Amino acid sequence: MIEFENVKKVYPNGTLALDGVDLKINDGEFVFIVGSSGAGKSTLMKLLLREEKVTSGTIKVDEFDLARMSNYKVPYYRRQLGVVFQDFRLFQNKTVFENVSFAMRAIGEPNSVIRKRVPAILNIVGLQNKMKNYPRELSGGEQQRVALARALVNNPSIIIADEPTGNLDPELSFDMMNLLRRINKSKNKTVVVITHEKNLVDHFQERVVRLEEGKMIEDRVGGMFE
Amino acid sequence: MRRYSIMYFISQSFKGLWRNGVMTLASITVLVSCLIVMGSFALLVANLNENLDSLGDMNEIVAFIDLEKTDEEIAAIREKVNGYDNVKEMEYVSKDDALAEEKAKYEEDYPDFFDGITSDIYPASLVITYEDNEKVETLKYELEHTEGIYKVNCRSDVAETIETMKNGIIWLFLWFLLVLFVVSLFVIVNTIKLAVFGRRQEISVMRYVGATNWFIMTPFVLEGVLIGLFSSGIAFGVQVYIYKFIQDMVATDYGMFTIIPFEEIQMILLLGFVGIGVLTGIIGSCISLRKNLRA
Repeated sequence: MIEFENVKKVYPNGTLALDGVDLKINDGEFVFIVGSSGAGKSTLMKLLLREEKVTSGTIKVDEFDLARMSNYKVPYYRRQLGVVFQDFRLFQNKTVFENVSFAMRAIGEPNSVIRKRVPAILNIVGLQNKMKNYPRELSGGEQQRVALARALVNNPSIIIADEPTGNLDPELSFDMMNLLRRINKSKNKTVVVITHEKNLVDHFQERVVRLEEGKMIEDRVGGMFE
Repeated sequence: MRRYSIMYFISQSFKGLWRNGVMTLASITVLVSCLIVMGSFALLVANLNENLDSLGDMNEIVAFIDLEKTDEEIAAIREKVNGYDNVKEMEYVSKDDALAEEKAKYEEDYPDFFDGITSDIYPASLVITYEDNEKVETLKYELEHTEGIYKVNCRSDVAETIETMKNGIIWLFLWFLLVLFVVSLFVIVNTIKLAVFGRRQEISVMRYVGATNWFIMTPFVLEGVLIGLFSSGIAFGVQVYIYKFIQDMVATDYGMFTIIPFEEIQMILLLGFVGIGVLTGIIGSCISLRKNLRA
């Protein structure tokens, strides 16, 4: 469970990015975080990734209290999260298999586990036949699915996707969102999607949390973009 | 640590060194140069100290005995002086010996100079070699206050100069060492920074998937260690060659200068090189990574 309680974030230059945000996301929920540029979406994600600390208030993710957590625990907290970025962040000099297995190697998983798990995850995202390909040989949609596989491979309980369809055409965007929804429903993983794509939000009719000028102004299940 | 982690770290370190080939080469070149300069200076200091110590052994005091003293009185003075503390050896130079020494020096150039001169005008003297440089002033004082001795020539200033020189050389060496260490550190810091920059995307992804700091840091620290090890190996090889060359040259041309056999100092030199090289690598890597280790 993710729980924001009266969260305020002021950057050192004085910018008030989040102001008194209260938000609770239950296990297995699918949530869109929407808002215009500068609304506080990125800050919310940075706080959730524990890249930044709150100025006041608390954020709890399962048993982790992000405001009080010491730095050495951060890597272990992040293993609960799978992160997907707009720009994919794939290594162009590594194959699909290597890109996905990299996430497992980084937390010290042995080769025997990597060899079993990576093909299984690539199967879930429909890339089982592209294991030996390099990212440059894949379409944008496929590259984003590799990124999603990398986010899933360590079996996180929460998937955070920051504008995951920002670099995809509309058709591929729908495919990607469908895939995220399928993972949410079938694997019971919490999915938080930060987006500004009205069509997707309106189409999927999931819970929508809207931020404006650092405040949460709307939280509606089955909500629309506007 | 698991075996595959060790293999992963080693392979990543070698890849990193290879990827930043030019900077790696620059780092190794600078570190090798610094180590050779440090090593050469250390060997120079060791050899100078060895030779200055033996120069110190040549220190002596000459005490001149009053002209009118009889042989019996001189014998008494010799016995008394011989009993002083810090006297290692004492040589008696009689009036006749003194005249003979003077003649040996000047008679060839000035053959008429010694006509009519007898040994009576030359004082007998005691040439004393002492044991301890630090107690030379006491011995000098005792001699100056000995009945029958009218003048004391002491080369304690030489001993002092030698001590001052030794201390100066050691301080100079330490400063040199510090400056070269900082220079080496600076180059390694930049090499590792470049390696970190080249792998910033990997580091960023590693952090997001929950890699620990030591997992991220280890390959870079290993890169620093490898640079240090390669450099110390090369520097040692070059140093052996330089030292042996100088050893041969000194043995042939400057016989009065003793040089420490390389076999006696090679192990300490090698350990020093490896120690400084590896330490520079580790400290350099840690400085470069400090910012990247934020959570």
